[in-house]
Amino acid sequence: MSERSSSTSTYLLVPILLIALLLGTAAIRNPSFVSLSGFGSAIIVAAPLVFATYALMSLAVAGRGTVDLAVGPLMAFINVSIVKLNMLGVVTGPFGVFFVALGLGVIYQLLFALIVIWVRVQPIIVALSGFLALSGINLVILQRPGGMAPEWMGSWGLGTTIFSPILLIVLIATAGWLLFTLTPFYANLRMMGYDERAAWTSGVRINIVRVGAHVIAGLFVGLGAICYTALIASGDPTQGTTMTLTAVTALVLGGVSLSGGRGGVTGALLGALNLYLIGFVLATFNFGAIQAFVTQMSYGIILVLSLLLTLLVPIIGRHISFISPWGAFLVLGALVIGIMLQVATSGAYLPAEGVMGAAQGPLLTRYLLDTPAGGADFGLVLSPIQKITFLAALALVVLVFTARLINAESRARRMGLFLYVFVAVLILALFAVVAGQGHVSLIEGAAP
Amino acid sequence: MSDMPNSDPRPGLLPIPRSTAMVWVNLAITVIIAAIGFGVGFGQGMKAQEVILATVVSLAVTLWMLNYVVVIFETRTAAKVAARSEPKAATPNLWQRNRALIIAMGLLLLAYLIVTASVPDFRSVMNLIAFLVLELILLFAFKVSGYFASGRSAFIGLIVLGALIIISSFTIDGFLSGPNVKAILLFAAFLGIACVGQTLVAMMGGLDLSIPFVIGAANIGLLFLISLGVPSFVAALFILVLGGLIGLVNGLLTFKLQGQALILTLGMGFAVAGLTQILTSIGSAFGGNVFGSVPPWLQNLAAMNGTTFGLSFPPTILIWIGLAIIVIIALRWSAYGRYVYALGGNRRSAKLIGVSELKYWVLAYTISGVFSALTGSLLLGWSGGGFIGVGDPYLFTTLAAVVIGGTSLMGGYGGYGFTVIGVLVLQVLSSFLIGIGLKYEWQQFIFGLLILPMVALYGRAPHIRAQV
Repeated sequence: MSERSSSTSTYLLVPILLIALLLGTAAIRNPSFVSLSGFGSAIIVAAPLVFATYALMSLAVAGRGTVDLAVGPLMAFINVSIVKLNMLGVVTGPFGVFFVALGLGVIYQLLFALIVIWVRVQPIIVALSGFLALSGINLVILQRPGGMAPEWMGSWGLGTTIFSPILLIVLIATAGWLLFTLTPFYANLRMMGYDERAAWTSGVRINIVRVGAHVIAGLFVGLGAICYTALIASGDPTQGTTMTLTAVTALVLGGVSLSGGRGGVTGALLGALNLYLIGFVLATFNFGAIQAFVTQMSYGIILVLSLLLTLLVPIIGRHISFISPWGAFLVLGALVIGIMLQVATSGAYLPAEGVMGAAQGPLLTRYLLDTPAGGADFGLVLSPIQKITFLAALALVVLVFTARLINAESRARRMGLFLYVFVAVLILALFAVVAGQGHVSLIEGAAP
Repeated sequence: MSDMPNSDPRPGLLPIPRSTAMVWVNLAITVIIAAIGFGVGFGQGMKAQEVILATVVSLAVTLWMLNYVVVIFETRTAAKVAARSEPKAATPNLWQRNRALIIAMGLLLLAYLIVTASVPDFRSVMNLIAFLVLELILLFAFKVSGYFASGRSAFIGLIVLGALIIISSFTIDGFLSGPNVKAILLFAAFLGIACVGQTLVAMMGGLDLSIPFVIGAANIGLLFLISLGVPSFVAALFILVLGGLIGLVNGLLTFKLQGQALILTLGMGFAVAGLTQILTSIGSAFGGNVFGSVPPWLQNLAAMNGTTFGLSFPPTILIWIGLAIIVIIALRWSAYGRYVYALGGNRRSAKLIGVSELKYWVLAYTISGVFSALTGSLLLGWSGGGFIGVGDPYLFTTLAAVVIGGTSLMGGYGGYGFTVIGVLVLQVLSSFLIGIGLKYEWQQFIFGLLILPMVALYGRAPHIRAQV
């Protein structure tokens, strides 16, 4: 609640706003997103990207401008190694696969760290070297995409349910990093990333800290490779470059500073999810033959814009320091869940003719809003559970807002205009959501 | 690089050694080499005028290089003699002095053993000789390069280049044949032109990863414009201007975010490539593919069978050579070049003497954009069809060439001459690897492993206790 704690994570505001926007759009554009299989497949598809971003994050925090461009090829390398070993029948069991994947990741990153420490070349050169070498060796191990993932992985990549082993791995890794942030080692790591000389002069054993950061990155890459293998159920030596580029974009989008010292698992996670959602939302607009190009261009523009936004972070932090990212997260989360509830429940009552009508409707309806076509039998019935959830969320939001407002009011010397606008917009938006639902039930009040 | 000495007496444009004996020795070596080239050229049945041209060129270049090296040695030995009077610190033991060398040689041995064990075709006497020569060269490079204050990387690069040429001509039939040399030079020219911008940008401490995307975009963009009926010269000019504009935007955007120039230019590249593909696909049934006929002048400019003033080599090579000379001279003697070095070396002091940082930074990126577009246009002439992925190999090879040449990525040290050496090393190595039957993936692997030791030879940062 103090000024300091909110200003250190101001950089999270941008990814939080973006993810709310994207989740809302995704739910409206493609109602099937709000379902068990929709979320399940989203988690599974996004998991490798999330891990690649985590790995980059832990290296970026270590400073010296360490952006391991080889993270994608390394992931592909572990992927093809797993598949090759599986095909040869050497390593097939879960323990063996996990051991191989994590081991390869750690060994590579250890090598990276030792070269940076002892040979003292810039990390970017080591990364470049690793990128070329790994991309080459991947194609040697597996000529073209193919092969078979271990059998026990078969059910992992189906994505029919949210609670897949992949989610478990992501959660454990995230929780592991959060636990790690409580240790003094992490404090040393951040200090080294922020100012290596200061860390060295104050007695931090920077070599050990650097090796530690790389080992953690190696573990993340190994886990990511397992998720990737489960996702594609085969080996693919060619996707390394794409993975690197998207992971770097996700990292920047998540507000992690590439010059070191600033960043966290939340930012990386949000960045990766944002990037996945951007792809997902773009895919719902049917661009036909130029779909891939539009996606590519959007990634590029978003990368540039989010980098330029990092210039604005100090300014944002100065003016709206009274808004905690977590408060924003809560409010926007409630909003998004509201949208999702609306979409999910109204979709269930959507008649088949409605879909046809919407598909042939005017351009605006077709491209911007997948409106339910409102037949005579259309109606929205909130189940008791939904009502309770909704009211509870609303109450929580109002409570948090009041608390935040009082808090800001009590300590701020002047009230920014922004606060009023922000509060007004949020309350209006909430009203709109609620009123939208009430409207339907008012008209169709007697409907079953 | 803080360990780079800054008070180095560099040789001028025309280096002449002080001792006359060395001049005669150099002349003799040059004549012998030129005579060998002359004989080999006629032995292969090339045209007389080409052989004569090649002989004259090689005569001049070899003489110049030998003199250059000798002058550096002379100044260094003089400096050493002067320094010898000072008391020396305790001499470290053999391992401490030579550990980098021993490690490098061990790694090379390991690599050789692995390759020999895994590739049956590799086991031959010739390869063994080649390996031993490589080890010897490494030893030589390590021991002799210590005499150089600046240009150490260039010296090592030249030695590696010479070694590669010798080894390849032993192990591969027809390596020094006319067509192969022409092919090497042509691809080196493409890479070299693309590297102009990367070198300039790197010397100021930035990086430009938008190069491959601009190359690809220029490639399909030019063909698209030509297929629309725009006169080909106008179209080519327009593409160059567009490339410059992209570079300008890159420079302006990265100026405030210099630490993240790598990522930002990458994003710009994505955006440019995507936008170009969208624009060229509008109204076309084939998404992403552009069809059209390349004008003959462009084909002649870059295709393998192109001719320059009646001589049978494509003008691209000549363009590259001319460009290299201009860039090297401009960097060394023009105010622009000196300011680039000044800004790369120490941003703050350069600003204090009134050098506009923004101007030179943006200009470097703009030049990078123009030359990327030029490479893309020339590649269109070479391949005869538009393809967005034509720039993909240049994503990291431009960087690799700059790094192998010895330009510091931190800025302030290097030059285009170094990059030329880096480009040639990469191309000759690539040709060598193809020659011994290794596929593209192995080449990439070896490139990757090569960069690290090359940089480790000269690009090492000081220890942290020296930085505090």
